[in-house]
Amino acid sequence: MEILKPHLKNYLGAIFGAVISIIVAAGASLLQPRVLQFILDNLLKNDRQAMFNYGMILIALAVIGVIAGILNVYFAARVAQGVTSDLREQTYCKIQTFSLSNIEKFSASTLVVRLINDMNQVLNVVMTTFMQVLRMPIMIIGAFVLGIVTIPRFWWLQVVMFLAVALVIGLTFPQLGKMFDRFQKKLDRSNTIAKEAMQGIRVIKSFNQQKNEEVRFGEVSDEMNALNIKIGYVFSCLLPAFFLVCNVGITAVVYLVGINVENAPSELAAITSYIGYLMQMLFTLAFGGMTMAMYARGFVSLGRIKEVLDTKPDLTFDPNAPEVELDGAVEFDDVSFAYPGAEHETLKNISFKVAPGESIGIIGATGSGKSTLAQLMTRLYDPTSGVVKVGGVDLREVNEGSLRKAVSLVLQKALLFSGKISDNLRQGDRNATTKDFRWAARISQAAEFVERYDDQYEHQVEERSANFSGGQKQRLSITRGVVGKPKVLILDDSTSALDAKSEKRVKEALEKELTQTTTFVIAEKIFSVMDADKIMVLDQGQLVALGSHQELLATSQVYREIYETQRAKDKIEEGEL
Amino acid sequence: MKDFKIACGYFWKYLKQYWSAVTIMIVLTLLATFFQVIAPIYMGNAVTALTKYVAQLADPATRTSASMAAFYTALKLMALYFLLNVLAQFIAWMIMSKFNADATNGMRKNLFAKLQRMKIRYFDTHQDGKILSLFTSDIDNIFNALNNAVFEIVSQGALYIGTLIVMFSINVKLALITVASTPFVLVIALIIMSKARKYLDAQQDEISNLNGYVNEQINGEQVILSNGLQQESIAGFKKYNQRVKDTMFKGQFYSGLLFPLMQGLSLLNLAIVIVGGIWLIVADSMNTATGLGLIVMFVQYSQTYFQPLTQLTSIYSMIQLALTGARRLAKVEAQPEEDLVLDGKKQEGLRSEVALNDVHFSYDEGKEILHGIDLSVKKGQMLALVGPTGSGKTTTMNLFNRFYDVDSGSVTFDGVDVRDLTLKSLRSKVGIVLQDSLLFTGTIADNIKYGKPDASDEEMIAAAKQAQIHDFVVGLPDGYATKVSDEQSIFSTGQKQLVSIARTLLSDPDLLILDEATSNVDTVTEEKIQQAMDAVLAGRTSFVIAHRLKTIVNADKIAVLRDGNVIEQGSHAELLAQKGFYYDLYTNQMVLD
Repeated sequence: MEILKPHLKNYLGAIFGAVISIIVAAGASLLQPRVLQFILDNLLKNDRQAMFNYGMILIALAVIGVIAGILNVYFAARVAQGVTSDLREQTYCKIQTFSLSNIEKFSASTLVVRLINDMNQVLNVVMTTFMQVLRMPIMIIGAFVLGIVTIPRFWWLQVVMFLAVALVIGLTFPQLGKMFDRFQKKLDRSNTIAKEAMQGIRVIKSFNQQKNEEVRFGEVSDEMNALNIKIGYVFSCLLPAFFLVCNVGITAVVYLVGINVENAPSELAAITSYIGYLMQMLFTLAFGGMTMAMYARGFVSLGRIKEVLDTKPDLTFDPNAPEVELDGAVEFDDVSFAYPGAEHETLKNISFKVAPGESIGIIGATGSGKSTLAQLMTRLYDPTSGVVKVGGVDLREVNEGSLRKAVSLVLQKALLFSGKISDNLRQGDRNATTKDFRWAARISQAAEFVERYDDQYEHQVEERSANFSGGQKQRLSITRGVVGKPKVLILDDSTSALDAKSEKRVKEALEKELTQTTTFVIAEKIFSVMDADKIMVLDQGQLVALGSHQELLATSQVYREIYETQRAKDKIEEGEL
Repeated sequence: MKDFKIACGYFWKYLKQYWSAVTIMIVLTLLATFFQVIAPIYMGNAVTALTKYVAQLADPATRTSASMAAFYTALKLMALYFLLNVLAQFIAWMIMSKFNADATNGMRKNLFAKLQRMKIRYFDTHQDGKILSLFTSDIDNIFNALNNAVFEIVSQGALYIGTLIVMFSINVKLALITVASTPFVLVIALIIMSKARKYLDAQQDEISNLNGYVNEQINGEQVILSNGLQQESIAGFKKYNQRVKDTMFKGQFYSGLLFPLMQGLSLLNLAIVIVGGIWLIVADSMNTATGLGLIVMFVQYSQTYFQPLTQLTSIYSMIQLALTGARRLAKVEAQPEEDLVLDGKKQEGLRSEVALNDVHFSYDEGKEILHGIDLSVKKGQMLALVGPTGSGKTTTMNLFNRFYDVDSGSVTFDGVDVRDLTLKSLRSKVGIVLQDSLLFTGTIADNIKYGKPDASDEEMIAAAKQAQIHDFVVGLPDGYATKVSDEQSIFSTGQKQLVSIARTLLSDPDLLILDEATSNVDTVTEEKIQQAMDAVLAGRTSFVIAHRLKTIVNADKIAVLRDGNVIEQGSHAELLAQKGFYYDLYTNQMVLD
């Protein structure tokens, strides 16, 4: 609840309106049986004028009730929408301060669920609070007090009725809650089977397993059904039981008034109004029980959102770091790194220095730590020990803007966002002009297809970039990477979907156009990095060799082995011609 | 109206077998309603009797003969009807809970079974998420509506009519006063409901837009972080968030309006009834006791008369959802199913060859994908299919076991058209190893034995060994009994592929269709996958979408596909000698996909 407080403060006016209107609305419905009683009283006394007066009051109360009710919905919706949308924004801003490992710990999909589904639960909580929860105590206490005022000697009846309903609710609701939880689990399971049957429909059909799948699903479905029936039975008892309590109450009131009518004939006119109060109290109580059940779900959601808000970003940039222009020098000084929670180190004691403008190839098997190296250079992670420097500045002390301007990372998985091509390219340099786009797209070989569109760089990128092939996506992603003329460019296996010709052209263009840029090319094939000034060989997190292709062939056993195996394959195949 | 009919037809289909239970439930509900309407009469009578009794007591002339007998009679009857009402309700609900749950279970199981029988085309043209929502949301909506709405419609409908009859039989004038406001109330309710619906739809759209944005941004966080785009991302978010806020406010306001408004109108009507009642008593100079009893009764009736209006408007959206759900489910049930060719020939075993003869094929009418393909492979041989993306390789693979049928031409096994074979025997002889492998929730053994559930453990282990996954599995604490699911990551993508190869090995098909593409896997696993693939290909007739040079070179025949045509066909050496498209592909480092 505390995470809502600061946001609630911004809507004090609307909250005030919601509270006042709910009090007025509750008051109007509470007074209505009382006025009715006065009317009947005066009917017995045959005082027509008074009857009409009270009749008018009754109409006025009804009108006031409607207006207050509408105002209440209005204000409650204002508060609920305001608070949740602010909280959603706060949470989203918080997520944007997260490091990659923060996000991975939550997983992207749960963060989305928290921002959307959990927020909607919170919305319901706030809405319910200002529409119903506040109303409940007013109604229950009001109806209780007015009931006693109407026929004081029946106070005990109200207490007994109240306890009876409370008991029914208290006994059954927790049981129902458990059943609903169990049902939810079964539902999840049946959904999993259904989902697998959709995704695996080709497998199922090609193995003729339709019948077995039906049996598998049928078992869970039957279990769900058994539980559904059980829940249905509980409700079938619960609701009639509640009405039974109410009916017993009504009968008792009429009977008790009847046997004492000689002494208190005025109670006759009070019967209807007294029963009205009794019912208001009991219905509010029963309805309140159900609201609370829903409420509990909302609190779970609030907890899940709080978890996000309470998370400390595990990597922050010093806001006071001076903005400087970094050059392309990159230095690793005894850097080791282990992913949070991982037992073994992904990188072990890596040291090297690269001068501005050099081209570096990084090679090694999957899992040797190549991509991790790239992530450290861009400070997506901090090293566990040792220092990473770009342009001579320790990345722990660097200005965020300066680093982003200097270093550009192009991933193997080319992520484009829906919008226009130009929107995506401007992510690399927000001031880029169409001229810059053209220049960068020539380098990445994207120009040949982008400039064929009528709208060129204003062409739409659809959701999941479905309108581009893998190779096109990678080329656009490279365009984004070079458009800002970075001092350090890291291509993390980012030409994997390109054919050999295009890959070669990209490399040549990079060499020609970005002479001042330090370029890291991460690859699995030696062929892709052979021409680099220096090649780093990574093996199980260690830098086992560093040098030019010729040097490494001469000095590094590991490099030679990789080279031989890769070349041998080609040879064998050629030999078979 | 036609949609409504379809939806009702769907409900009828699943509820008709419970007709006796439904009938009992309806009768009991009507009885319960009847008792509910009757009870206030006796309450009114009791009050009237008491009033008379007090008046008799006050009058010395009748004082001694004053009796409470009438009161007790009325009270007893009231209590009796209350009790009967509760009892009838209880039994009706018990019966209803059972048949509603059973009927829904029937719908759920039938939906699943229906999906199993439907054509692959349906799954290729509908998103999984949308199909799944039939289970997660439509069936759920129907169950809710059956549980709440059906009972309400019967009982509230009966209550409405019953109350009308009783009111008019007691006092026509006061009854008219009670119902006078109804048209007005209905018009207001309908206006609000249509507004609410409009804004709720808009709200749904905006939420899904926001969801899309957030999903894309957070999943692309690495790009956002490495380019320092956090502020831009937040700015974009704010726009979507604001739109959600604005539309949701309207949706919540209008849908929230209905309840207090109907409550208030009910109250207003009550006031009108009372004022009207008083006027009536005065105008008709009724005696006090009768007048009081009349008003006490009509205070109840005004409320019971209004209750159905309030209730039915509040379940209106629930009914709408259920009708929509029923319509969608009925639509799925009407989808075409696969032809099982039950009277067809049984495919026993391949004797000479499998062939595609002048095959034309299109997914959508008018957009032909394959333009007259002729391919054949002799028993025991391998045909490698190569060609750029979009050339029709995958489409061709879909034709052998009739995932899709040809537009013209034919696919034949030993000269027999696949459409003349029983579907089951055909598929049991054709194995497919797909690029994306999928594990089903269950044990590893379940997954390997998937295509042949009665296989022995020895057979399973032999297959696992051939598929290079045995060593890994026995290394797990529970071995083959280890529980797996597709989401849970005991297996890497590559290992999943090994399991699916083991699955195919165990089912031992005559003809193998194999997509060689391996997803991003490490070198060790890739090596294993290749060994496993070699094992599964050995000695089998096969069509392979080839990616590895070795496979292509070793194939008995290579077919080059381009834009839905076979442009070159022959052995590796022959094709190289032609210096055609294949030669280009080959010298260009074999970029095949």
